[in-house]
Amino acid sequence: MPPRHLIIGAGTAGLNCVRTIREEDGGASEITLVAAERPYSRMVLPYYLDRSIAESHVFTATAATLATWKVKTHIGRKAAGLNPQANALTLDDGTTLEYDDCLIATGSRAVKAPVPGADLPGVHSFWTLEQARAVVAGIAPGSHVVMVGAGFIAFTILNSILSLGARLTLVEIAPRILPRMVDDAGAALVETWLKKHGVKILTGATLVRIEEARGKQRLRFKKGPDLLADLLIMATGIKPNLEWLQGSGIRMNHGILVDDHLRASVPNVYAAGDVAEGKDGVTGLPAVHAIEPTAMEHGRVAGANMAGRDVTYRGSLNMNIVEVCRLDVASFGAWDDPNAETFTGLRPERSAYRKLCWSGDRLTGAIIIGQAGDVWTTNDVGMLKGLVQTAVRLGVWKEYLRRNPFDLKPAFIASRATGQLLPQTILGRPSRAPEIPTTVSP
Amino acid sequence: MKALRIVPEKCTGCLRCELACSYMQTGAFQPAKSVIRVSPYEGHTSYAPYTCTQCDEGWCMAACPVGAITITAAGAKDVVDDRCVGCKLCTIACPYGTIFYDPDTHKAFKCNLCDGAPACAEACPTAAILYEDVAAADWLADFAVERSARLLAVGGR
Repeated sequence: MPPRHLIIGAGTAGLNCVRTIREEDGGASEITLVAAERPYSRMVLPYYLDRSIAESHVFTATAATLATWKVKTHIGRKAAGLNPQANALTLDDGTTLEYDDCLIATGSRAVKAPVPGADLPGVHSFWTLEQARAVVAGIAPGSHVVMVGAGFIAFTILNSILSLGARLTLVEIAPRILPRMVDDAGAALVETWLKKHGVKILTGATLVRIEEARGKQRLRFKKGPDLLADLLIMATGIKPNLEWLQGSGIRMNHGILVDDHLRASVPNVYAAGDVAEGKDGVTGLPAVHAIEPTAMEHGRVAGANMAGRDVTYRGSLNMNIVEVCRLDVASFGAWDDPNAETFTGLRPERSAYRKLCWSGDRLTGAIIIGQAGDVWTTNDVGMLKGLVQTAVRLGVWKEYLRRNPFDLKPAFIASRATGQLLPQTILGRPSRAPEIPTTVSP
Repeated sequence: MKALRIVPEKCTGCLRCELACSYMQTGAFQPAKSVIRVSPYEGHTSYAPYTCTQCDEGWCMAACPVGAITITAAGAKDVVDDRCVGCKLCTIACPYGTIFYDPDTHKAFKCNLCDGAPACAEACPTAAILYEDVAAADWLADFAVERSARLLAVGGR
């Protein structure tokens, strides 16, 4: 009998797992996919919001693609319970699915700040397609949009809100914006930039209550005047969908603890993406990196191993990039390690900032902020990633970068990072193009 | 599969590759839009062109959430404009720094080997850029190490 793979979740991790299994086995196994929603990419929802793409563009694996991949689907169903002893999953409609191995890739959901009024119908999240539709319908030119939470997720839709002609106020409980993506100096630079571009920012603002006020939302604070919003978005964090695994016996910390093959603590169960707590490639310690590239790599490695390969994952690299009003903001690895030796460079007149974090002469983390119109900013983003990913020794170039933190390229090229990178692949073989594998017969 | 082989010792810094590349990619002679970029060494007495290696992993391609980066018949990873939404995940995923982004079109762009006839190689008058049946390699490191003495001694440009 062909092996039966069960994939729970059709986000980035789940679909990359499915695709990799098919790349490896050409269609020989049985794959069943359980997904609460029709598969789409959350990464592109900001571009649906600003109407630069149609809603149809957000969907990833269509029904036709899944049929070509010979995937049986349970779309619109949620996982309700896992019984690893019986190799069985129960769905929310009572259906039981048996598997030979399964992948848990149920992702995260948005959580709202626990203040009275947060569950009013006019208080939005921006995480799922359905939530995005509600926000799209609620913003008109001249609308006053208030976003509570000034972190990465809020920043991904900042441009979209402004491009729709709305006025925007950011409210952040922490003393500064982007507390988990850049350091104080970087945040100050971004804050100045945004204010210059007409965004109102309230930091250190403790929201105590939200009230409905004739179709608008009134935000009341511990200190300071109220805010009146035509549309209120809570971007106050995400939480992995793990509750349904209570009692399954799977070891969990912040996420499902997985080994270097993405295996959970019970037999035949893998986990990937936002729900997985796997190796951080920089620190070597377990970590949840709820980011798109980690979900993709986790999904591919798990898929290859489920298909019978023996692929060891080198660990994920925490990284984020967001562009706001044509300013690129990116960070990599252990950029916030308080014990690291750090070099910084600031050019306020160009709104450019660099932070390099070191262990000896190896780069362990970095922050880069610069104007999107500066070609070298984008190139430097990649080279910083390469230096942190390879942890190549920079030798004499370390001192050079202390004095010239903006002149990365000569150091990158002379570091021989390229030679280290060229043999590196996630699956131990060249990646395939994202088309449907031709070996699968419909 | 053919690949670009760079012989930095032969580069004169004439920038014809950048002009040819930008013309082929965008229809304009505009080095800022070139995806091959010439760096100066030893106080502008040596030069080296740098571009995408079309690496096996294709970090950009794997990272794209909408499958907008694919492999062409020439074996190049290329951005499909109609699919690219401009999210920049490829720029952060590529560890070589060879993805570019156009803030006007909101699209990523990169070396696509000009469908198998790279304009940079054709334009290079000194055969510093060759298009040959050769494996991807780090063509620049030895040259860069050897020719960085002045930069390191002076401590900056």
